[in-house]
Amino acid sequence: MRAPEFFRGMRQVAVQELLVNLKSLRLIIMALVSALVIVGGAYGFSGLGSGGGFPGGLPPVVVWPHAAYNATGSHVAVVWVSDPFGGPQAGRTVDLEALGPNGTVPLAKIATDGNGFVRHDVGGTDVIAATVTVGSFQTGTTISFPPQPQNFTYDIIQGDLDRDGSDDEMAIHVVNVSGDVVPAQIAVNGTSVGSTDAHGYLQFDLPRGDSIVNVTVAGETQTFPATVRGGSGGPTFASGPDTVLIIIAALSGFIVSLFGVVLSFDAVSKERVQGTMDLLLSRPASRSGILLGKFLGAFAAVALPVTLVNLAGIGVIAAVSGKSPTGSFAAAFLGLSLLLIATYVLLQLSLSTIAKTSGTAILFGVLAWLLFNLLYPIITFVIGAALFANDPAGYFHFSLVSGLGSPTQVYFLLIGLAAPQSLAGSGGTAVDPILPEAAAVAWIVLLLLLALWTFHKRGPE
Amino acid sequence: MIEVEGLTKVYGGSHGARALDGVTFTVPEKSIFGFLGPNGAGKTTTIRILATVLQPTEGTIRIDGHDLGEDPLAVKENLGLMPDEVLFYPTLTGLQQLLYYASFYGIRRADARKRGKELLEQFGLGDEMAKKVKAYSHGMKKRLALAQCLLHDPHVLIMDEPANGLDPGGMRYFRDLIRWLNGQGKTIFLSSHMLYEVEQLCERVGIIDHGHIVAVDTIADLSARLTAGAPTVLRVSAAGVTDDGIRAVAAIPGVTNVERTPLGVDVTAKAGSDVSGEVSRALVMAGAALRELKAEQRSLEDLFLALTKGGGA
Ligand SMILES: Nc1ncnc2c1ncn2[C@@H]1O[C@H](COP(=O)(O)OP(=O)(O)OP(=O)(O)O)[C@@H](O)[C@H]1O
Ligand SMILES: [Mg+2]
Repeated sequence: MRAPEFFRGMRQVAVQELLVNLKSLRLIIMALVSALVIVGGAYGFSGLGSGGGFPGGLPPVVVWPHAAYNATGSHVAVVWVSDPFGGPQAGRTVDLEALGPNGTVPLAKIATDGNGFVRHDVGGTDVIAATVTVGSFQTGTTISFPPQPQNFTYDIIQGDLDRDGSDDEMAIHVVNVSGDVVPAQIAVNGTSVGSTDAHGYLQFDLPRGDSIVNVTVAGETQTFPATVRGGSGGPTFASGPDTVLIIIAALSGFIVSLFGVVLSFDAVSKERVQGTMDLLLSRPASRSGILLGKFLGAFAAVALPVTLVNLAGIGVIAAVSGKSPTGSFAAAFLGLSLLLIATYVLLQLSLSTIAKTSGTAILFGVLAWLLFNLLYPIITFVIGAALFANDPAGYFHFSLVSGLGSPTQVYFLLIGLAAPQSLAGSGGTAVDPILPEAAAVAWIVLLLLLALWTFHKRGPE
Repeated sequence: MIEVEGLTKVYGGSHGARALDGVTFTVPEKSIFGFLGPNGAGKTTTIRILATVLQPTEGTIRIDGHDLGEDPLAVKENLGLMPDEVLFYPTLTGLQQLLYYASFYGIRRADARKRGKELLEQFGLGDEMAKKVKAYSHGMKKRLALAQCLLHDPHVLIMDEPANGLDPGGMRYFRDLIRWLNGQGKTIFLSSHMLYEVEQLCERVGIIDHGHIVAVDTIADLSARLTAGAPTVLRVSAAGVTDDGIRAVAAIPGVTNVERTPLGVDVTAKAGSDVSGEVSRALVMAGAALRELKAEQRSLEDLFLALTKGGGA
């Protein structure tokens, strides 16, 4: 058969199948269900790890206090206000109070300048309280003026600034004794990690365990210790956007495959049951064209809402935790969902061609879904556990290979591989990506051939 | 022109039922061909194969010179199918179904819409074309089926019991339409149980029974073939036929049987003998009042029943 003949009728059938599906009740129901699970899950899991009511557990503003001195030796309270990532916050009101033996004495309320700074001469006052209020959030700090002025002063915060689920980032702010920004070189355990920016800010990573941080300004170095808790390889936290996306992808694997089944289980059998198959087959369209059209139409009808829901899920993760998941991982998630849809739709087309009635078609669809999503994983788990009772490495290898026998598990493997390295679960990085990738392609090709063959054989009968 | 040779269809694998067995016939160009046979004889199976819906187990088919197995797309381009059961996508309107089907022939959408509307209006569905098909009556679906069959102006029409279910007006309209289409040069293959319709429309008929063709010929030749050697039957309608009259008729040379009927008598004579003159004279002389006397015509129905041994699969 020549190529144009092979595809003859594909476009027409695809458009029709898509339009009919888009208007169908089951599509609306399944789209709502997946929106509920994916978007709801994204919201719920992103919120889990965040403390203090702030996205990802980080405050909206950080107040960096410094004790500075003017030429006459008078005390100057220097306050820099920024977001946790070093973005200066202009126009924030800083409430300065003197703390003395007689209690607090209000000094001044001053708005930060364009660079986020407040510099206020407090004369001889030794301890100053600086408070910033943003909505319902209030943060305060004190500034004490030591008798021996330092040539420069620094402030640090430590936390999960990159939302990867562990508090292994540090931010530092450095000014000189006059309260002006000066470049400071920062080193962790003797290795340089960069120098402060035009506002005096630098964010850098800390290794797990104890470290020594050096701050060097104009050849003078101050040193302080830092510690990152949490054992290596320990559990990751749901607050990391990538981690949430992994959970969402796992949920999505089940929902999306079910969506594919629900929308395409009767794509062929319906034509036969409602009696429209004969008229369709008498049109100038090849059987392959009709089947491929059915595939494309059903695929697009599932892919469209699923992709929208997935995008919404990623958006919700980003909105709730304040940081987007890694771009390449999010893209892989979107793409792998499409792959999963394609496999299940193709599988259903074959089953739908064999099924004589709608009832059988539903039965086949549900059974196939249960087989790949429940039975097969359980059976391979039991077999693996029995065969490799005392051989964890052997079991690990067995589960990898047996996983290739179910499209959903292939999807899970590929999601695990696409996840950023630090998040891949134990052993995740040990998988050779070629194997699941080849399995995914093999599944598609195999199911496509099977669908074409069954339709060619049993189309109208 | 449709040429069918050695067509065999076995349903459901090699051990299934043999629905067609060596079916061979030819439908001449621009003719109307009637396809007859009792229930389950294989008419629908033949039609589905001709319409490229089913694949034959064996045999070759050429439609307008294109081999069905080798170039099915060329055949499909120029073929209109009217299926036995008129079933459509229930959630689409009549016009939408036509637009979908038209898209396969590369008809521009605007043209398809225009032609579809024309056809629907022509077939009395003008008010129904925007309604979903699930709200159509059987006859309305039948008309829609006719519209989809003619939509792309095909050269060959394959129709499975097309007149079945039409009201009398629809039936007459349909008959005229078929004649008109034939006049336009279309080759029409139709199956039917309505022998009267077939007699009115078709020059040639094929009769199939249990998957075998039992006759293919013009109706006239078929009748001649069947009447040859068959006894002549005179149906006499008369009042006051006496036993004497009956005896007188029975005595006429060539008469083999005389039988009383509610209307009068039925007289059977040897094949080829014309006894109508003697019979009427004998009856009148015996005092009967003769109203009508006519030689029984062998109708297509008789032909059909004779060839299919009383019908029934
Ligand atoms: N899809 C099928 N699968 C198996 N057998 C079938 C199928 N369709 C028809 N048959 C069988 O093939 C034979 C011919 O059936 P077909 O429908 O062609 O008869 P028909 O002449 O159209 O009868 P009718 O006048 O009742 O429409 C019958 O014995 C029937 O049981
Ligand atoms: Mg039939």
